[in-house]
Amino acid sequence: MPSRTVSHSPAGLGRSLPERGLLLLVVLVLLEGSVLPLGAASSPDVTHKENVDSHSVVDKGHNYTKKAFPVLSLDYAHIQQPFEISLWVLLASLMKLGFHLVPRLSGIVPESCLLITVGLLVGGLIKLAGEKVPPVLNSELFFLCLLPPIILDAGYFLPIRPFMENLGTILMFAVVGTLWNAFFIGGLLYAVCQIQPANPSELHQLELLPCLLFGSIISAVDPVAVLAVFEEIHINELLHILVFGESLLNDAVTVVLYHLFEEFSSAGTVTVMDCFLGIISFLVVALGGVLVGAIYGILAAFTSRFTSHTRVIEPLFVFVYSYMAYLSAELFHLSGIMALIACGAVMRPYVEANISHKSHTTIKYFLKMWSSVSETLIFIFLGVATVDGPHHWNWVFVTVTVILCLVARVIGVVGLTYMINKFRIVKLTTKDQFIIAYGGLRGAIAFSLGFLLDKDHFPKRDMFLTAIITVIFFTVFVQGMTIKPLVDLLAVKKKQEAKRSINEEIHTQFLDHLLTGIEDICGHYGHHHWKDKLNRFNKKYVKKCLIAGERSKEPQLIAFYHKMEMKQAIELVESGGGVKMPSAVPSTVSMQNIQPKKPAPTKPVDRALPQLPKGREEEIRKILRSNLQRTRQRLRSYNRHTLVADPYEDGFGEFLIKKQKMIQLEKKIKDMNNYLTVPAAPPDSPTMCRARLASGKDTDFKPAQQQKGNKTCPDPQAYMKQVSDSVPTIQVDLASPQSPDSVNVMDEFRRAGKQPQQQQQQQEEDQGLMMKPPSGASGANKPGEADEGREQQKLMRCLSDPGPSAEEDEDEDEPFLP
Amino acid sequence: MGSSSSSINHIPDAEKLMQETGFSAAHIFRLYERFEVLDRDGTGQLRPEDFGAVRELAMNPIGDRIIRAFFSPGQETVDFAAFVRILAHFRPTVTNWTRDGAQTEPANSRTRKLKFAFQLYDQDRDGKISREELLEVLRMMLGLQVTEEQLQSIAERAIQEADLDRDDAISFDEFRKSLEKVNIDHKMSTRFLS
Repeated sequence: MPSRTVSHSPAGLGRSLPERGLLLLVVLVLLEGSVLPLGAASSPDVTHKENVDSHSVVDKGHNYTKKAFPVLSLDYAHIQQPFEISLWVLLASLMKLGFHLVPRLSGIVPESCLLITVGLLVGGLIKLAGEKVPPVLNSELFFLCLLPPIILDAGYFLPIRPFMENLGTILMFAVVGTLWNAFFIGGLLYAVCQIQPANPSELHQLELLPCLLFGSIISAVDPVAVLAVFEEIHINELLHILVFGESLLNDAVTVVLYHLFEEFSSAGTVTVMDCFLGIISFLVVALGGVLVGAIYGILAAFTSRFTSHTRVIEPLFVFVYSYMAYLSAELFHLSGIMALIACGAVMRPYVEANISHKSHTTIKYFLKMWSSVSETLIFIFLGVATVDGPHHWNWVFVTVTVILCLVARVIGVVGLTYMINKFRIVKLTTKDQFIIAYGGLRGAIAFSLGFLLDKDHFPKRDMFLTAIITVIFFTVFVQGMTIKPLVDLLAVKKKQEAKRSINEEIHTQFLDHLLTGIEDICGHYGHHHWKDKLNRFNKKYVKKCLIAGERSKEPQLIAFYHKMEMKQAIELVESGGGVKMPSAVPSTVSMQNIQPKKPAPTKPVDRALPQLPKGREEEIRKILRSNLQRTRQRLRSYNRHTLVADPYEDGFGEFLIKKQKMIQLEKKIKDMNNYLTVPAAPPDSPTMCRARLASGKDTDFKPAQQQKGNKTCPDPQAYMKQVSDSVPTIQVDLASPQSPDSVNVMDEFRRAGKQPQQQQQQQEEDQGLMMKPPSGASGANKPGEADEGREQQKLMRCLSDPGPSAEEDEDEDEPFLP
Repeated sequence: MGSSSSSINHIPDAEKLMQETGFSAAHIFRLYERFEVLDRDGTGQLRPEDFGAVRELAMNPIGDRIIRAFFSPGQETVDFAAFVRILAHFRPTVTNWTRDGAQTEPANSRTRKLKFAFQLYDQDRDGKISREELLEVLRMMLGLQVTEEQLQSIAERAIQEADLDRDDAISFDEFRKSLEKVNIDHKMSTRFLS
């Protein structure tokens, strides 16, 4: 089998060996998929016959003629369905792989277009092979299996702040915009159909209500298509959330309109009462969906509070509760999409505070994986269904539909923006309006809804389907492909780098408080006032209920700060800061070689290095040799998994610093040593030695004994250089004289006159990364008791998730805890 | 707000204020009403206690600072004109403001808004936010929920990030630079005053 590890072959090479291999694989998979069903046609008979034979043989009793035992038999029917599903998923994933091998292509054509093309090809292939094209995009499969992962992914990671800030605008676009689109398209289509000239075309038979139904199906902006295209163009957050939010929230409108018109079509007449009921129904559908989602979200958050002992199934709760929310909403014909969004958005802050960081990563990656595969499958199936579907092409109908869709969208957006801008602080410019109008893509939801139509009630169903597919193709291909160059052409603001600095966070919170205060002075119950009230309510009651333990009291700024520190440290290690050696040493050398070499030949090392007694040095070397090797391996594995550690876990260390009763703490931690494989370290811990040897020049490094004299507890802890939080303990950073950052950091700290005074615990020194936020110069020692209790809890939290395998995993992947 | 033109005559310097701050007559009227509500003893001047009567401000972590910001240094009272001028900072920014003659930058421009926020940090008015001032603000916002070291770490890191000229304090320019990605026009405007 050709190797799967295709590296980025330069564009010029294109068809290199691995890619050819991949293509070959794909073709084989396709053939397998189409050939086997053919072969399967014959096999069931064979097996059946064999069964009959064996039965009859057994029935006959003892005198039977021995048949040759079937060594190898073909039984396709047995595994047919799962096999085909897996084949489709495999195909989708291989396609995804394949696209990125051709870099130029993926830059020009959005993935969705390529996938539809592939679907067309596959459908064509199957048809050529003479097989009946499987009705893959049947609505049940779509709505129950393919759509939920995408929506859940969107809802769980929905950026709440911009969403809430623009909620009014989004709702306007979603509700009023969709209504406008539906009626405009439906009405005008009916009118156009009626004004056909003399020759009686079939269009005359089209009544108003089916037209309106068709209008409502085609008018909704599709979240899947929007996501697929907008993700690749990286426009600014505001536009993204506007279009995306609209595509999510218009589901309620679509559901109501669809059912309304479907009902009325069979009834035939519409009364005012019906319209009124329709409006009520809309409110019920929308708010009911949100309520159902919120209930399940709270249930999930509450459940996650108790999962501290069974961490492995935490992700399962998130997924199952969300899916149940979706299904429950669909049960009552409420808006399943809104339920899913509400569930994900409500449960997220609480669940994330409760679950371990491994579960968090699991959830994130599973959601991304499922939604990605779903999206790919949807587009491929769209292509296949196009080849298969019953088509009825009518030039007039189709072209009028396409034109009307565009026109309606533009008029709708312009008109609504005019009205909305009166209420917005940051107005929407013409450029924004253009992008919003242009980003109104239709997708598979419209197709599935059309597919659901009953042929008896809607004789024109085929014509509808053809028109829907045409519109979808048009929007996805034409608009999808051209939106990227248009965005560049119009110089629309792109998405800014998401890296928020701590300054931004502090000042943003400060400004929030300021604006709340100003609004209170003005006596105005504005946006900030309610937000503040909600936050207070959340902090006072909700968090206490739904978040376990100490996390419920943690202010947002602290959590943010820790997250940032962690991220930066991991980045530093990943970027190779951990492997940078002193200049004389080649980069690939094992860290064992540090010891005998003198780092930083430019400056004499001796003056910075304390004089070690000879015996001690040997001891150090031995320990280093044994431990550093392990460290390096662990570092590597840590890099590979790139887990973002739990922000709270690294704050653990700070509380240890202040300990007056260090020994008691150590004893307690020794008790928990069963979680850790590393014993408490000897007096001169490897960390200290490593730091010594690695740091070389300008460290104001002093070993614990020298520095603190008798103030230290009798058990000398490893001294760790007082460094900036962002630099990991494997202080090779400092060793490289070329790295300016580390020097700067150190300078600053020296200037700040920080008195390094931490004392660290030994156990985890080999685990790689250590986070040590600098402690203040003050010696303010908080009373130990409260802290101890807290850090017990924290330690339990860090260590309580052994994962599926034993502790070994835990040790490797946990950040170095002091 | 009907017939505001006649009632505005009660308000001293209404015309001048309108021109200076860009508020409409209706806004000035509304603000005057609010001023009168706050001014319980009807002296035409506000004192810190009057502000303190606003219940929600007491719960605001930086409530005291906001109140103090209304009072120029050394002054004990605030009259309506000063009240309006301060609140003018929070008008939504109009991108195309008409400048007639040699008018100074309008109160609600981005720079002026930022300057107002900066002064809330910089209590001693030396043009820089020192580490202690930052620490104080952090202490006010985060309260008793965090330890002193955490505060120190955060303050340290914040200064590290923002301080470009390495003077261990954040000047106004550095402050502005660190907020360049934040949409100040949105964050520091309230619709009431639009």
